[in-house]
Amino acid sequence: MSDLQPRKDLLDIESLSLEEIEYVLNNAVPFKQLFQRSVKKVPTLRGKTVLNLFYEPSTRTSSSFEVAASRLSADVTNFAVGSSSVVKGESLLDTIETLQAMRSDYIVIRHKGAGVPGIVAKHTNASVLNAGDGYHAHPTQALLDAMTFREVCPDYAGKKVVIVGDILHSRVARSTSTLFHKLGIEVGVLGPGSLIPEGRHDFMQRLASWDDVFDWGPDAVYLLRVQLERQEGQFFPGIAEYHKMYGLNSGRLSQMRERGTWLMHPGPVNRGVEVTDEAMGYEKSLISTQVENGIAVRMAVLHWLKPETQQD
Amino acid sequence: MERLFKNASIARADSPELEKADVLVGDDGVIKEVGKDIAGDAVSDCAGCVLVPGMFDLHVHAREPGAEHKETLATCADAALNGGITGLVLMPDTSPPIDTGNLVKSLQDLVFEASPIPMLVAGCLTKRREGEKLAGFSGMANRGVVMLTDSDRTVPCPDLLRRCMEYARDFHLVVTSHCDTPALTKAGAVNEGRVSYQLGLPGIPAISQEIAIDRDIRVAQHTGAKLHLQQISTAHALRAISDAKATGTNVTCEVSPFHLLLSEDDIEDYNTAYKLDPPLRLPTDRDALLKGLLDDTVDAIATNHAPHTEFEKAADFASAPFGVAGLETAVLSLYDRFIKNGVFGWDLLIRKYSVAPREIVGQRPVAIQEGEKANFFVFDPEGETKVDAGYLKTKSHVSPFLGKALAGAIRETVLG
Repeated sequence: MSDLQPRKDLLDIESLSLEEIEYVLNNAVPFKQLFQRSVKKVPTLRGKTVLNLFYEPSTRTSSSFEVAASRLSADVTNFAVGSSSVVKGESLLDTIETLQAMRSDYIVIRHKGAGVPGIVAKHTNASVLNAGDGYHAHPTQALLDAMTFREVCPDYAGKKVVIVGDILHSRVARSTSTLFHKLGIEVGVLGPGSLIPEGRHDFMQRLASWDDVFDWGPDAVYLLRVQLERQEGQFFPGIAEYHKMYGLNSGRLSQMRERGTWLMHPGPVNRGVEVTDEAMGYEKSLISTQVENGIAVRMAVLHWLKPETQQD
Repeated sequence: MERLFKNASIARADSPELEKADVLVGDDGVIKEVGKDIAGDAVSDCAGCVLVPGMFDLHVHAREPGAEHKETLATCADAALNGGITGLVLMPDTSPPIDTGNLVKSLQDLVFEASPIPMLVAGCLTKRREGEKLAGFSGMANRGVVMLTDSDRTVPCPDLLRRCMEYARDFHLVVTSHCDTPALTKAGAVNEGRVSYQLGLPGIPAISQEIAIDRDIRVAQHTGAKLHLQQISTAHALRAISDAKATGTNVTCEVSPFHLLLSEDDIEDYNTAYKLDPPLRLPTDRDALLKGLLDDTVDAIATNHAPHTEFEKAADFASAPFGVAGLETAVLSLYDRFIKNGVFGWDLLIRKYSVAPREIVGQRPVAIQEGEKANFFVFDPEGETKVDAGYLKTKSHVSPFLGKALAGAIRETVLG
């Protein structure tokens, strides 16, 4: 057992020490092994309650947390926050008061406002797990990405990952790149100039084209989801052009195949935009592994965090 | 009742040196005598204290009428006096917006009842601040508005802005602009750059203010109108203003104490007290603003006192409203950082925050001399002010300085 300081909340990657990162990633491994057994449940969090609070629509992440919590034998409540009830009506402080009164031990929160999980964390005894806030952070995504990459590249330090797509609006890009950087993995970025902000992390090396990417020689290509509704016409002319410039088409896929490059994506994918159908069947795609590791990592995080709700 | 301020040091606009003197204020509120060894009753011992002419704030949102839960004229006046400010200009973005002569008159009546200090009224440039049709300038001018502005909404259409300026010129009214390009600002919350990226908040690019300034200056040059630019926040904007002044453009500008003291690097933990309009910019911008203040590119200091309730500001950063209370921390924070450390003297603060702002809206300067009405505050440089509920008179206890101790204390503000 490690002598880590207990931690109440997981809000971002920046505040995690390398030791803490190792602790979570290492603990996720036995949880993952559990999934091969017929009984996938352990009693770790029996009697504890986990509240899933998603202010933005999400099926994957909320289900992943739900599965993770129930495999730890916690009771899970999905607090239904219709997107309409959030509009204007109840303020954040009122919501927090309601949450505090429910006496949950863990609150999993996704919110469009950057920093909201931090505000909630400050006002509750429960452990708060940030499941995505605005463009700011998505720490469990970063942890599952790191776990996935380490499985295929055990000597990960000095390896290279290129993140392709919308860096500007992506909390995944922020958190995952920060974690990769902490682990000594080099991070490149590829995307239209309108979506690669000047204020990005210094360690993000901008690559100009797929040719550049292949010259650079990444060990994995990490495609981001294109937020069609938000970006088309505003940041790039259209889907066809995006696909032509930045999509993973069959030519690029065959280059990846030749080089043995891994493929990652946080999901859900837009077929025909950032990937082709063909790429979805790519033998070195880690997309399903990411989903599976997501559950293991979230179990490890729930197991690790210490709510201040217990009297004992 | 006569009052004698004994053993004081008197600050003036024209000299960095403080003058040791006693000040006798007559029972009519007029300064009877400034000199040595004056005798009298009702003595306030001011040894070690500085008497400073009352400040004047060009940019205040007192929220009345319409949003009295945030601030009222009465609480705003209390806050002003608490902060050494003895006159101010009210922004017209109330509910209803002040866009007719009758509304100006109603507001002046409210001020008369609620406030011991002059609160001059600014009128809207366009009806209901909607940026579509000219407001009734002549009616407002007849009632004595001192400037025309749509407050934090920049007139979007350059043609309408041009007509506003041409029309305002006839009334010798200054046109005041908040300098923002809404199409660039969008739903931004902080300066666009490293910090907006790290916090994952939508950014407001510097060019949002700079383009508006360039445009407003060109329209002012074209029309010959008097232009006042509010809340300058970037080095580039300041250069544009400096260039315009060099070619004889009739333009003045203000900066806030917050932009002189803080930068985006100070925003911590999504604290919405740092959410200002325009946003806090880079440390290099902050330093350029100070330089501009010292070399006279910046004409005036103005707080943009924009009170909101703590509850309203407790929203998440992107959703919280812009602005914080500023009247009670302006003098103290500038003293704490600059005057105390010898960066500039009381004379500069008086020029920028008492003389120039009054001049911009056609008011006489105030000074501590015989024959003038008493209009000064007693400042104790050895004191310390904890910015908290015990100190603040504004309804809005939201400030980047909340909970902090600032050097110096304003013992009282004396009005004749």
